[in-house]
Amino acid sequence: MTATTITRSPRAVPLSGRWTRVAGGLGGVILTVYVGLLFFGSQLAPFRATELAGRSLESPGGDHLLGTNVLGQDLASQLILGARASLLVALLAGVGTVLLGGIIGILAGWFPGWLDSLLMRATDLTLILPKLPLLLLIGALTGGSVVGLSLVISLLFWPTAARILRSQVLTLRSRTHVRAATGFGAGTWHQLRRHILPDLGLLSVAEFIPAAGRAVGLQAGLAFFGIGDPTQPSWGAMIRDAIAYRGVFITDAWKWWLAPPVLALVLLIIAITLLGTAAERRFSPRVARHSR
Amino acid sequence: MTQVLRPPATMTTAPADSGRGRRRTAYIRTIGLYLVTLFAAVTLTFLLPRYLPGDPLAALNDADSGTYVYDAQERDKIAAYYGLDKPLISQYGSYLSGLTRGDFGWSISQNVPVSTLLRNRLPWTLLLTGSALLLSSAISYFAGLTAAWHRGRFADRALITVLSVTRAIPEYAIASGLLILFAVTYPVFPQAGAHEAFPTYSSTWDHISDILFHLALPLVALTLGLVANKFLIVRNTAIATLGEDYMVLARAKGLSRRVLKYRHSGRNALLPFVTALGIQTAFALGGSVFVETIFAYPGMGTLLERAVFARDYPLLQGYFVVIAVVVLVANLLTELTYTKLDPRVGRR
Repeated sequence: MTATTITRSPRAVPLSGRWTRVAGGLGGVILTVYVGLLFFGSQLAPFRATELAGRSLESPGGDHLLGTNVLGQDLASQLILGARASLLVALLAGVGTVLLGGIIGILAGWFPGWLDSLLMRATDLTLILPKLPLLLLIGALTGGSVVGLSLVISLLFWPTAARILRSQVLTLRSRTHVRAATGFGAGTWHQLRRHILPDLGLLSVAEFIPAAGRAVGLQAGLAFFGIGDPTQPSWGAMIRDAIAYRGVFITDAWKWWLAPPVLALVLLIIAITLLGTAAERRFSPRVARHSR
Repeated sequence: MTQVLRPPATMTTAPADSGRGRRRTAYIRTIGLYLVTLFAAVTLTFLLPRYLPGDPLAALNDADSGTYVYDAQERDKIAAYYGLDKPLISQYGSYLSGLTRGDFGWSISQNVPVSTLLRNRLPWTLLLTGSALLLSSAISYFAGLTAAWHRGRFADRALITVLSVTRAIPEYAIASGLLILFAVTYPVFPQAGAHEAFPTYSSTWDHISDILFHLALPLVALTLGLVANKFLIVRNTAIATLGEDYMVLARAKGLSRRVLKYRHSGRNALLPFVTALGIQTAFALGGSVFVETIFAYPGMGTLLERAVFARDYPLLQGYFVVIAVVVLVANLLTELTYTKLDPRVGRR
């Protein structure tokens, strides 16, 4: 599969340092607000997410800032409490993806020969699997708890991280200090701990952020298909409920029922992306070299 | 003279047929790997639903469900009818031998042959994802070359900024946004379906334009997410070529900008671009599941949604096998194209 080996990272977003710093700062500020919702959401939300707080399909105003849905649940509360599911999956799946990709990438990079080619074949194979349909199937069959979902996402999306970390291990291997250490008889474990892992830390952060962003999109996507904990509010589930109620487009209800969760999601993903662009520029040696 | 000016992909002079034998071996190995992948995918789709929780007969066995079958003997008979009482290995055997005959089994939830359902749905999904891949390729190729040409200037930065934001937005968000804007607030396009519900077409052109009219919004929703990745790839590789000696020479010869941009710089950017296109096939098919659901488009995606909820094993299996074949064929074609585009590839 020579076709898929690209040495530099051609997807990298090439923008100037000043621009990415501003963008990264903006992303950080937005993300802080979301993390605030995660911790203080239950105090901020006027109602519980599943509580029947009012009449069905109320317009915004009074007790209900964003009105109510068809069951009479408070939409503003659902919106606030929905941040939890998105952020938890982002964190867990992001860590899982980088961890798995890291282990595979380091093994492949450090042990050239059959292990490397076996692992890279597996990477190519996983890369072309139709992942979303597979995720839907597994999610539907297992119920899609936050932890389970994160695990499945990690199991399907590790190849990108594995490839990038492998190529970094390959360059590190050929550096003089690593070769000198090998010459002095340093063992694999010592080498990995002292010379390889410390150099991969920042690059892993640069891989973690886009993986987390993708996980947010996937979690909401699965919730949109009704996969996830039904007792926990989630933006994907709100979108699903809104679209399932066909009257949402005939009346103005889409303005406070459909649009807010879509915007909340998009804003979160954009914030993570901005942060990721800044991190990639800062931490990834390849990008720094290629953007002018 | 034009021969000398060819881009470096063909300029690396190779003896006419030295690599042919090795290239053939490479072809055979590649195709072999794809066959192994296909087999793995087929086996995986067979095993997954059987080892994960959930049971197609749960609704018949559960006393709380509306379709509960009281008589245990009757339940066994139903299980036997669908072959679900046999040992796993014989289920697998009959599954494989069925596949070779194009028989995907019988849909449990819809009570029709799976192959019929798939045959009705596949063309719509291929139309949607195929045209989205084509459209996004055309856009990203030209936008990428243009951005590379004007690198560092306003057009370049604006394109990068806009596209890196759009690539972050999930398809269902784009789709619902488009639906709200262009089918609800300004009802220019239809909200659902792939054609009129009760069509009376006066001509073939009428028929085609109706289908295109219904395709427009889903197509845009799916295309937007596919542009950014390829755009960045084309732009970054094209920039790398701009400083090459052969580009300087070509420019010094006074070749027109169009020839420089598309023939010399663009041709080299094609290689990683084609790779990305292959990988994106799976991505586009995944995205089409959401887009189809939101626009109620009668493709494979909406079929998958129903199959997942009904735990319809045969339908799920059939779906995955068809999708896996489509994805693998697309990737195989990509790799073969790659070898054709860049003669250096097969000769390593």
